[in-house]
Amino acid sequence: MSTQPAAHYDRVHEAWTLIMGEEFHYGHFATPTTALDVATGALTSEMLELAGIGEGDRVLDIGCGTGRQSCDLAEQLGAKVLGITTSASGVAAATALARSRGVDARFEQRDGTSNGLPDSSYDVVWALESSHLMRDRAGLLSESVRVLAPEGRLVLCDIIRKREIPFLEVRDRRHDFATLRAAFGDAHMEPLEDYASRLEALGMTVLEATDVSAETLPTFAAWRANVDAHTDTLTGLLGEQGVTDFVQATHVLEAFWNDGTLGYGILAATKASQ
Amino acid sequence: MTDQDKTLAVITQFLTRADKSTDDVSPTTGLYGDGLELDSLEAAELSAMLEDEFGNDPFSSGDELPQTVGDILAFYEVAAPA
Repeated sequence: MSTQPAAHYDRVHEAWTLIMGEEFHYGHFATPTTALDVATGALTSEMLELAGIGEGDRVLDIGCGTGRQSCDLAEQLGAKVLGITTSASGVAAATALARSRGVDARFEQRDGTSNGLPDSSYDVVWALESSHLMRDRAGLLSESVRVLAPEGRLVLCDIIRKREIPFLEVRDRRHDFATLRAAFGDAHMEPLEDYASRLEALGMTVLEATDVSAETLPTFAAWRANVDAHTDTLTGLLGEQGVTDFVQATHVLEAFWNDGTLGYGILAATKASQ
Repeated sequence: MTDQDKTLAVITQFLTRADKSTDDVSPTTGLYGDGLELDSLEAAELSAMLEDEFGNDPFSSGDELPQTVGDILAFYEVAAPA
């Protein structure tokens, strides 16, 4: 579990809010000039539509980050939400957010790949851009399926790998990969089809598995525009090198999107009635 | 320092840089999975360090990737001039 110091968490949180907006995730852009907050809202809406969350539904938010999504689901849909993250600082921040908004969402420090929650105890498992940070993808999916109630739904969106990357190419592009790791953490991307096939092997019915790489591509330009708009503040929060590294990481990702190496997928699957 | 010691020194240097444990590294230690748990990027970084030091490396030179520390040691023992 992460022991990321709270002060560091707060700095990164503030910086990423300036860069990414209130929702810490990619946008689903109708056009390249769509505003970032509209695009991130659209991605959330896609997830909501697939999840079909109703009032009183029990929702498990895996990799809940700042808790913003969990609070929104509880507040706007009347869902009973448990957000889990491996970060103690994340739990503290999310709990404080829920308290400040007067929302009935709970947060606990748990690992999505071995969550320790009871079988069949959730109507919806929600994983928004968190799975790429969980190296044990099989564990994440099997645990998600285990805690889903019959007819429950898993909805997930994340960065995906769109082709095999041969070892020598990884070696040649290791500085690019290292740049990504420094900016975004220890990420491991898998093909969307692998998520789908793993879930089918666990008895789930995949309702949708859609590649939205083109729709998410403008995210990088939008993030860079926000860096340009807040350079001085971001330099104070992340340092000059930190800002430079982040911008470079967006260029690396954009190139990977454009050459078909990486992209973005969204998936929904449902558990059998019994 | 023997060739094997030099190779182990590079591996240890890499593990230290990667913030991984250098305890109990032996020829039978696996590079991936339950061993050193290298992912593809870390293997690429080790590959580059070995090439920088010795001019070639077992990750890039053969058909099959090395699986253990011993595979790396064996590559340089075979490659060394008689």
